Formats: sequence, C-alpha cells, structure tokens
Amino acid sequence: MGLSRWDAKYTPYLIITPFFVVFAIFGLYPLLYTAWVSLHDWQLIDGDQGFVGLENYSRLFGDPNFWNALFNTLSLFVLSTVPQLLAALGLAALLDRGLRGSAFWRAGVLLPNVISVAAVALVFAQFYGRDFGIVNYLLGLVGIDPVDWRAETWASHLAVSSMVMWRWTGYNALLYLAAMQSVPKDMYESATLDGASRWRMFWSITVPSIRPTILFTVVTSTIGGLQLFAEPALFDPGFAANNSTGGSDRQFQTLVLYMYEKGFRLFDAGYAATVAWMLFIVVLLVAVINFSLTRRIASKG
Amino acid sequence: MNRRLVGSAAATLVMVLVAGCGGSSEADGKIELSLGLFSDFGYDKLIEEYMASHQNIKIEQRKVKMEQHNTQLATQLAGGRGAADIVALEEGVVSQFRASKDKFVNLAEYGAKDLKSQWADWKWNQGTADNGEFVLGLGTDMGSLGLCYRSDLFAAAGLPTDRAEVAKLWPTWADYAKVADQFTAKTPNVKFVDTGRNVYKAILDQTEEGYFAKDDSYIAERNDKVKSAFDTAAALGTKQQTGALEPFSQEWNVALKQGSFATTTCPAWALALIKAGAGDGAAGKWDVTTAPGGGGNWGGSFLAIPKQSKHPKEAYELAKWLTAPEQQKRIFKETGNLPSQPKVYQDAEVQATVNEYFNKAPVGQIFATSAESLKPTYRGTKDSKVGPVFASALTRVEQGKQSGADAWTQALKEVQDVVK
Repeated sequence: MGLSRWDAKYTPYLIITPFFVVFAIFGLYPLLYTAWVSLHDWQLIDGDQGFVGLENYSRLFGDPNFWNALFNTLSLFVLSTVPQLLAALGLAALLDRGLRGSAFWRAGVLLPNVISVAAVALVFAQFYGRDFGIVNYLLGLVGIDPVDWRAETWASHLAVSSMVMWRWTGYNALLYLAAMQSVPKDMYESATLDGASRWRMFWSITVPSIRPTILFTVVTSTIGGLQLFAEPALFDPGFAANNSTGGSDRQFQTLVLYMYEKGFRLFDAGYAATVAWMLFIVVLLVAVINFSLTRRIASKG
Repeated sequence: MNRRLVGSAAATLVMVLVAGCGGSSEADGKIELSLGLFSDFGYDKLIEEYMASHQNIKIEQRKVKMEQHNTQLATQLAGGRGAADIVALEEGVVSQFRASKDKFVNLAEYGAKDLKSQWADWKWNQGTADNGEFVLGLGTDMGSLGLCYRSDLFAAAGLPTDRAEVAKLWPTWADYAKVADQFTAKTPNVKFVDTGRNVYKAILDQTEEGYFAKDDSYIAERNDKVKSAFDTAAALGTKQQTGALEPFSQEWNVALKQGSFATTTCPAWALALIKAGAGDGAAGKWDVTTAPGGGGNWGGSFLAIPKQSKHPKEAYELAKWLTAPEQQKRIFKETGNLPSQPKVYQDAEVQATVNEYFNKAPVGQIFATSAESLKPTYRGTKDSKVGPVFASALTRVEQGKQSGADAWTQALKEVQDVVK
C-alpha cells in the first residue's frame, strides 16, 4: 500500500527526469556557458584573454554589420515565412478535398523537405547564376534584363527566400492537413445548408478550427527562420573558400552567418557568443510577438 | 540557438565515440597515425608503401574541404582533442596558426633543423617561428605562379597563341591590361580574365611585403604596392573585362566549361582544377606561360603535429618521409603539385615533365623557373583575415556596385575591425 502510493506520486517525475537531465547538459549548460564566454575577450584557439564585462555588448550595439545582419534576418524571415505559411494553408485545403491518388500528392509535398539542404542550395545557386542561370534565361524570354542575384539586396533576399519556401511549404502543409482532417464534417454540412461559400467556410470554419496548429507552425517557423544559415551560406560562392560575408557587401548576411564569420573565421569567440545571445533574445521577442498576434487574428475568425 | 545546441551535443557524442574507437583499435598492437588533409596531397600510394615497410604503423587519411579543415582544426586545438596526429597547414593560414604555436609540437625537438637545407629558404622560414628556433611544420608543395590562357580564344582575338610569344606580350601587369583592351575590342562577348581578385592576389604575391610589414605591423594603407595592385584589378573590373567569378567555385567551373573567359593566374596546383572544370572538351585549348611581373607564390602547405598527438615521434618520422625530396618528386609527377625543394627542380625528370592537357606545356621548366626567381610575400598573422575584405571590395567593383575608389575606401574602413 505504502509502496504503491509512493510509486504513484514519484514515478511520473522519475520518467520525465531523463529529458530534464539531457536538457540541462545539452541545453542549459551551453546557454549559460555562451553567456559566460560573451563577457570575455575569448579567442577561439587561445581561449580566455580576460574578463571584459559588457564591452562585447556595447561594441555590438555600435556595430553597423550587426544591425545589417539583423535587418537581413528579419527581412528574409518575413519574405519567406509569410508567403510560405499562406501557401501551405492553401495547399492543405486542396489536399483536404480528397483528390484522386491523395497519398501520392501528400507524400509528394514532403519530398522537398527530405532532400539535403546542401543539395537544394547548390541547385538553386545554379538557377540564380548571373551569366548562365535558368532564372535569368527565363526572364530574358519575356524581355527582362538579367538580374545579378547576388549583388542586389532585394534580389538576393528573394532568391534565398525561394529556397526556404521550397523546402518548408510542403512540411507545413502536411501539419495543416492533419489538423484539418479532425475538423468535424457536420460543421461544413450545416454551413453548406446555410448557403456559405467555400471561401467563407475556409476562413470561418477551417482556419479557426486549426488555430493551435497555426500557432505551432508560426512559432517553429520563427525559430527556424531567424536562425537561417545554410541557404544564404551556400548561396554565397565564397563560403567554400571561407571568404563568405554573405555577399560582397553583406547583402544577405544573416545573424547566424555573422556569428559564424566572427567565431570561426576571425576566431573572436567572445564576440560570436555575444551575437548568439542577442539572436536568442531576438528569437524570444519575435516568437512572443508572433504568438500573441496570431492568437488575436485567429480568434477573430 | 537550437542548431548550436544540437551541434555541440553531436560534437560531444562524436568525441565520446571517437575516444572509444581509439582505445580499441590500438589493441592489435599497431600505432595508429591520422593525417588531417584537404584537397589532394597525392599521398595515397606513398602511405600504402610506408605501411608496408613499417609493419607496426597504421595510417588513416582524413580529407575534408579546406575551409572545413581550417575551422575544424581551430576548434580541435581549442578543445584540446580530436585533431589528427599530422595536420596540413595551408600557406595562407600558417601564420595565423603560428600565433598559437603552443598548441603544436616544436619539430626542432626531433631534429627537424638538420633538414633545413632541403627547402627553399623562404619556404622553410614560413614554417618556423622565434627566429627559426621553433619549427612548426615541414613544407610540402609550393605555388609558384604561371598564367593560363585559352589559345583558341586568343587566336579569335587576333593575338599570338604560342606560349613564348604570349609571354612577350606581358612583361608587366600594365602590359597585361593592354592585352585585355585589345582582346575585348576584338571579342567583346568573352571575358578576358575569370576575376580581378586573382590578378590582384597575383600582383600582391610578387611583392615582398603586402598587408603587413616584416615586423607584423599593418601597412596596407601606406603600402603603394597594395594600392596599385588593387587599382590594376579594379580597372579590369570597371571595364567589365572580368567574369566576377569566385575562384574555384561551381560557377567558375561552369564558366570554364562554357569557355567564357580567356586567362587566369595559375599556380602549379591550379592546373588540375582547371582541367577538372573545363573537361575533356577543352583539352589542348588551354596553355600555360609565365605570369607578368615574374615569379610569385600562392599556396603550398606544411605538415605540423598538434601537441595533443599521442605519438609525436612516429608522426614526425612520417611527416619527414612524406616531405623528403624523393617523395615530393613523385607527387609532382602524379598530381602536378610543385615541390618546395630546389634540388628537385634540377632533376632531369622534373625538367622534362610536360602537361598533355595544357597543349603539352613544359610545366616542369615553367614552374621550376618561376619558383627559382620568386620572392615570397611576408604573411602577417592576420593576413588570411585581411585578404577577404579586399577581395569583397573587388567583387563590388566587378558587380558594378561601386567605383574602384569607393570600394578601396570602404575596404580600408572595414579592415580596421579585423586588424585592431
């Protein structure tokens, strides 16, 4: 009797303990250690060169390259996430209508996500070549001058966003589809009886019903989008030669790319840790803003 | 944040696993040596031979891309574990690792100084510190400069195609720029050179001091040679005579295949890259001749031994053997990597070596001559960090985003962040 009460009380804690232990080792410890490093003049190879307090942070706030990277990160995030989630929503609605061979289409939308990001970036980098790229060739067919995709800020942001969208739209569509399938069918039936259009039903029934899933995708896309690294890195041909600054004038250098440049190319680990912490705070802020915005929008419907 | 955490978790796991493996594999009594390399050092056959004649030694090669190699090595040195027993240090970064020499074995302790006379003086000096008292690495190949050109494109532009005649066209880089003008006037649809950045680097590599004076002080702003190299390259870019290509990138390969540029500066090791990029279709079309302005050095590596190696003595013996003149000669014949030891140049076989792909060019003679006349540039500790700032500036000019003067001004400003 005594044992089973003890069992009922403590076993659940025991069972979830491994997660928290692993989190403490691989999550909390690096987080705090990074904060500690950011308070030092820390060289990657030679290690600690002395405590400098908040000097790295004040340097960061006066660093135009940091603000540039922050702007690029937010711009790329908005350019890729907003159309991506809207497209995923539309795609999911189409898949939800019971197409012939639905399993094929559903598996198909996930395909881009399975392909390695390095391969994706390599192919897209070819698409957007200035002299031999397919995109410029197609633009030429309709009489538009070739675009130097890596040289111009907006062109490069569009190019990098297209890579992100290609990879993640299908993934989010499947999440939405799963949620849509659990929306009770009788709601649609009674709406149809009331004479509601498909469009109206989509915004008034489907979207509010899958609100938790939308919130989930918004938060995960925020975290993923703000940590954008591989796509812009591989879009810059200089990355392979370790010369990458995300474009000749940092046109598409994201915060993570900037952190990489500082930490692993210039070996300034203390400053890189500072960038990492600022990124952490930016992600938190944007996630909270998005979360509350989406909640408000979704609850209006 | 997430990605960083996952990364560090994975790294820790890998380290644990590697440590586990290391213990078990030494159980068969063999000493295990690992070699951390990038691109192709041409060691495959040599290592098999070495293992056959040294039954107690097992050698493993780890090849990754150069960028990855340098970054990995830095983190391994910082972490105090995971580095190979012998690591290759490229010429461009050797000065940077020299600043952390306490993480490496002083090869002088194993008698490396006795080997000094094998190498060209400057090559030996690049691999040492403390006025030669600390021997960081033994030299592998070197990268004396040549100039590669497409003879069919030269013919189309009404220029001579014979390599001796072509060499006469450009005794200096100013002459080279004049040839560019002639070329562009006749064939405006073909770029004269892949990128102005390579021209810039080649000119800099022919001066004794570049970004840094020999006392390691930063002098780029007042060194006329840096400015004039930059101006020469920027002028090519402004006139749209360059392809604005990242050297050795995928796009560079595509441009090679399309035959969209006519010349590129080429150290000995670059010949293999040009051949791979241009493919069989261009066989015999590419040729190589002497570079404007004489010899220069771009590239070439050193073999060093991190302090964390468990078998520094055996590692030293292997590095010594791999870099000995006899082995360097064999590597030259197999891969084209140019030896860093003058004795090898006089070798009849080396002198007689021709490159079939490059229109049977006598590469042995061309590169050996260039190597004997070259005066290498002093590389400062932060050379590899300063260079990319100026390279990006030239790319901005080639992209038509900035004038040469504006790009220069911006580069000088940006570089302050790196050198301070």
